[in-house]
Amino acid sequence: MKITKGHFIIGLLLLAALAAYPFFSGVVYTNLFVRFLIFALFGASLNLLLSYTGLLNFGHAMFFGVGGYATALLLEHMPNAGLLTALFVGASAGALLALIVSPMLVRVRDTAFALMTLALNQLLFIACLKLRGITYGEDGVGGFSIPPLNLFGLVSVDITHPYNFFYFSLCIVGLGLFLMWYTTRTPFGSIMIGIRDNPNRVNYLGFNLPFSKTVIFTISGFFAGSAGALFALFQNLVSPDAVMHIQNSFTAIIMVFVGGIGTFIGPIVGAAIMTGLENLAVRYTEKIFLFNGLLLIMVVMFFRGGFVGLYNLAKAKWGSK
Amino acid sequence: MVILQTKNLCHDFSGMKVLSQVNLEILQGERHAVIGPNGAGKTTLFNVITGTYHAKGGSVQFKGADVTRTEPYQLSRMGMGRSFQITSIFLRQSAFQNIRLAVLSRRKIRYNLFKPIDSINIITNETEQILRQINLYDERNVPASTLSYGKQRSIELGMAIATQPDLLMFDEPTAGMSKEETHNAVRLIRRLTEGKTMVIVEHDMEVVFSLADRITVLHHGEILLTGKPEEIKNDRRVRSAYLGDSEV
Repeated sequence: MKITKGHFIIGLLLLAALAAYPFFSGVVYTNLFVRFLIFALFGASLNLLLSYTGLLNFGHAMFFGVGGYATALLLEHMPNAGLLTALFVGASAGALLALIVSPMLVRVRDTAFALMTLALNQLLFIACLKLRGITYGEDGVGGFSIPPLNLFGLVSVDITHPYNFFYFSLCIVGLGLFLMWYTTRTPFGSIMIGIRDNPNRVNYLGFNLPFSKTVIFTISGFFAGSAGALFALFQNLVSPDAVMHIQNSFTAIIMVFVGGIGTFIGPIVGAAIMTGLENLAVRYTEKIFLFNGLLLIMVVMFFRGGFVGLYNLAKAKWGSK
Repeated sequence: MVILQTKNLCHDFSGMKVLSQVNLEILQGERHAVIGPNGAGKTTLFNVITGTYHAKGGSVQFKGADVTRTEPYQLSRMGMGRSFQITSIFLRQSAFQNIRLAVLSRRKIRYNLFKPIDSINIITNETEQILRQINLYDERNVPASTLSYGKQRSIELGMAIATQPDLLMFDEPTAGMSKEETHNAVRLIRRLTEGKTMVIVEHDMEVVFSLADRITVLHHGEILLTGKPEEIKNDRRVRSAYLGDSEV
């Protein structure tokens, strides 16, 4: 696709709309949008595994959770650590966890792989609950100081203000999404897709399968960790239920499917739809999973390509006239 | 010079003997065919050599190094390329993307996360060159799944060639092809393997006799005979074991 003047103008308008968004929507919807952004980043990091490498990870929340805990604990114990340092530590924690669990995960495939990820997620969930000395158990780590964003020692921005946090997360998520998208365009991205479609042949072509998968997990873990770190800064609280719970893993998978598996933008669209739906549903019932589940069933039964797939179908049918 | 050698190679599947004491020698620059009736152990021999299975006994030596327990990806890096009997390509991707992956491997670009792949011109050029060689340049951008079976087989061969191996291992490259497709495939293989070392496992006698410099006959997991095509044609043991009484 060639970038035309039209694309450029649309991009600028979109950017302007995003910049103006908080002033039109107010605090509640600004925070809702931040939630969407965080889950878009988290969903996209899962998508690297699910859509690009063909790995169904049922435990992606462990990377998110570890990222959140790392950032929260760092700020709890070292309130003077910088904001970006805290974020980077969270992301690195996700990557490190991925490195640690990779030797186990790269040896198994399909169902065994999915169950192994599930088990690891549960293990970390229980660890967070039980290691009270470190994680404060069920209560979680909260009320830690959130440092201001210090730009080259020139300006200091208080990101506890919802609007400021909105811009901050917009930049971080935007950067994260761009880096992931870029990854898919590199030679390594091609190898990922090769692993998805025919791992055996990739092996015979001279690529070290276990090591390549380890690299992919680490990248994915890094971005999931950064989403978790952002979440910790956003909520000023991480607890096992909020970040490490298996439900987060499922939510990310559902986002990929609802948005459209096999596309880069899928989980981002999925995150938008799920966050919006949740916000609507919560007005009438607490049982929002009822709606999430129903939506997933509909997608799986009637439109496998998700909303992106629907859009493409519609475009093919009516767009070319 | 011997490029590949197996010494007393043995393999069994849970006690069922498939290969026993196979001593095979492949010379640099020759086209060597392995033939034998169904169940003779051809494919097993092939898989043991290429690292799919690790031999239960004996050893495999490639370019002087013991590769009996070497993984497929390492063998590929050492210069052994293979194709598959059952087409094993990337069906959802285009012919171009299929071949490009093999070219990446040859160029040792494995963990490059910094440059968009489309902007690496040497990769694109080399891929296109191979696509021309296998006559798929015009169809390089359609998904491989929409190509005909014969063309998919060409991709299969193209990927094996694209890693520029010192030893090419073709596992029944014409399996399931019509007569005409087979004819074209043989011509393609002959052209692609000009001056290269190749081992081919094949059922089709026409293919074998038109391609091979030397032939090894495998029977009940043992080597019956190795020799030039004329010797094989005229050997009585081979005729009774494999060719029956039919004209060759």
